[in-house]
Amino acid sequence: MRAPCVAFAAIAIGLPAVALADLPMMERDRPVECAKDTEGRTWRIQCDHVTKQCLYAASDELGVDGDRGKPLERAKDCSFDPFDRAALAAAGYKFVPGRADAPHGYTRDDRGRVFQINFDLRKRIYFGAAYTPKKILENPLESTRTSLDFGLLVLNIKNDRTMHRLRFVEGGVHLEPFSSELVLAQYDLSHRFLDPLLRITTFVGEPQRHDLTLNIGMWTEVGGLELHRTSRGNAQLWKHATAMVTLDLWQSADLGSFLRFRTGLGLEGQRDEVTGYHSALVAQSALELDVTLDDDGFHNLRFELDHELPRYFVEMGATGKLAQRMKAKLQYEAIVLAINDQPLSLKLAMGGEKRDDIPGLPDQWAFVMDAGLRFSLWAPPRSHL
Amino acid sequence: MGTAALASLAALALVLAAVPARAESCTKLKAGTRYPVCFDPGNRLSITAGSDGFGGALSLRQVIHFEDDPDLQWKLEHQIGEVVSAGGAIGVTGVLYRGRFLRHTRDGHLVLPFGTPKKIFLPFDIGGLIEAGRLHRRGTGTFDLGIVKTAALIDLWRSRDFKKRLAVGPIARWEVSVTSQPAIVLGHHVVAPFSAGVANLHAESKNGLTVADVTVEAGTAWTTDGGWRPDARAEASLERIVLAVNDRPIAVMVGARYATATEEAIASIGARVVLFQGADPRVSAR
Repeated sequence: MRAPCVAFAAIAIGLPAVALADLPMMERDRPVECAKDTEGRTWRIQCDHVTKQCLYAASDELGVDGDRGKPLERAKDCSFDPFDRAALAAAGYKFVPGRADAPHGYTRDDRGRVFQINFDLRKRIYFGAAYTPKKILENPLESTRTSLDFGLLVLNIKNDRTMHRLRFVEGGVHLEPFSSELVLAQYDLSHRFLDPLLRITTFVGEPQRHDLTLNIGMWTEVGGLELHRTSRGNAQLWKHATAMVTLDLWQSADLGSFLRFRTGLGLEGQRDEVTGYHSALVAQSALELDVTLDDDGFHNLRFELDHELPRYFVEMGATGKLAQRMKAKLQYEAIVLAINDQPLSLKLAMGGEKRDDIPGLPDQWAFVMDAGLRFSLWAPPRSHL
Repeated sequence: MGTAALASLAALALVLAAVPARAESCTKLKAGTRYPVCFDPGNRLSITAGSDGFGGALSLRQVIHFEDDPDLQWKLEHQIGEVVSAGGAIGVTGVLYRGRFLRHTRDGHLVLPFGTPKKIFLPFDIGGLIEAGRLHRRGTGTFDLGIVKTAALIDLWRSRDFKKRLAVGPIARWEVSVTSQPAIVLGHHVVAPFSAGVANLHAESKNGLTVADVTVEAGTAWTTDGGWRPDARAEASLERIVLAVNDRPIAVMVGARYATATEEAIASIGARVVLFQGADPRVSAR
């Protein structure tokens, strides 16, 4: 409270004290003027000539006692044009204490200190740990377990109407019982087509045009690995390479969020202690939803439904030549705080899996729930539309 | 572990004591030609020869500045393809990639985004450690493969450059034993899901001639064959450039490491020859 009161005295406007929590903030996109007071201190001023209101704020960060400290961080340049406060006041302008401008994705507290309040979790390095109770339908007393997950680089790059998505070394490890999955590299792209694939004109009644736009993209993955420890030993599933065609059923305006269907083929090899090593060609399809629920990127929802049909080149024991894997996963991630502008998020996830490709894993639905924390590095503010 | 760690700390103390208190000139003049006496140990391609074998590594450093916030910078350190091989059946150690990223700012802070966002100040920098693809050959056809290691770090030293660091934080690690004969088979796994901590002390002299580093990891890890168990490892190194040939430095190195998993303490001594290096920005041949 003291800091703005000092400000009032300094530029001698003489307005009453106001509550600090909701001080209005200067707009980044509008010009800011700088002026010195009689004591030589610099103030930032932004006037709205429609409402005849001028916001003013110190050009330095303020200490707890209101003393000026270092210059404001991330404030835009201001001009030192002659500033005639008396003339503006005579013209009916009101001077109101405010907060200095901040870049997109940042704000300031009442002392002028800047901090990030908008995060893009699709540009980050992350790692986290979670508590994962697991329940198998016929064995409800299955032991609880812990897990960790990581992504050494998650990067979305938007280029006009194309979104490139890159993931490197992303995966997770579950303990007790042990299982893990890892992907070395994944790349996919979504594109927004302007020209429709089909134009259908109807002539019943008033002629009308109906466009059928297919936003087709691609999805690739190399170096996937799944490890499972079962009652019949260890099993390794090497997903050498997968390529799919994607069809975006819905895209957000910034292409960051989507609902899509993808289908394609993969080549994999499986080694277990029962049947040895077997290669397979895998037909796979998935329905995928990835959506950021709010403008500031705090709430993120992801759903994935996968169906995979490995066809082995050589019969694999009792499984034969054809196996089946079905997976579903729902994940919600919310940022709970940020340390030095690096977000710490809460992850809640649930999933189910049914498969008959790995000897020793029960051929029935198994369900998993996750609750944990993730720490992200980088996570810059989300792009403007 | 105690002896190794104490020896490392003593060595580090000696190094710190040797660090000059004021900036030195980074070039000297002889016969009308200037030659460098400062080096950048963070940007170089080097080979090593020592009691633990022959090896090499590529190290890169990078600083990202922000025009609108001069008090903020990201300090990125990359080590690519680090390998040491003693030849024969044992003693090959390699790391495909290791990165340490520290976000340095004059004012650290914590943001609570509930309602009106609140900012609470913290006296440290933050960052992370990432390591992928560590391989250690234990014997003929048997390896320990570190798939991923990652840590959240806080740097209490808060140096603006790369020369000083005191970073601590929780660490997660996933390793697996591998048998390659007759085919590649993965054995038991070791996983530390942030159940261990890491402390790293790093110091370099201002002229880059002396570099010391001590890292201690300790906590518990879960193994597929034995459940939870204590796990600790420590590593210390000291490097001193003693001469330069055609302005390419040659350094003497001493090091020690210990791990509870193998109960082995290994000391080493050797030399590092820099093949290519980034010029220290303070060095001008003109």
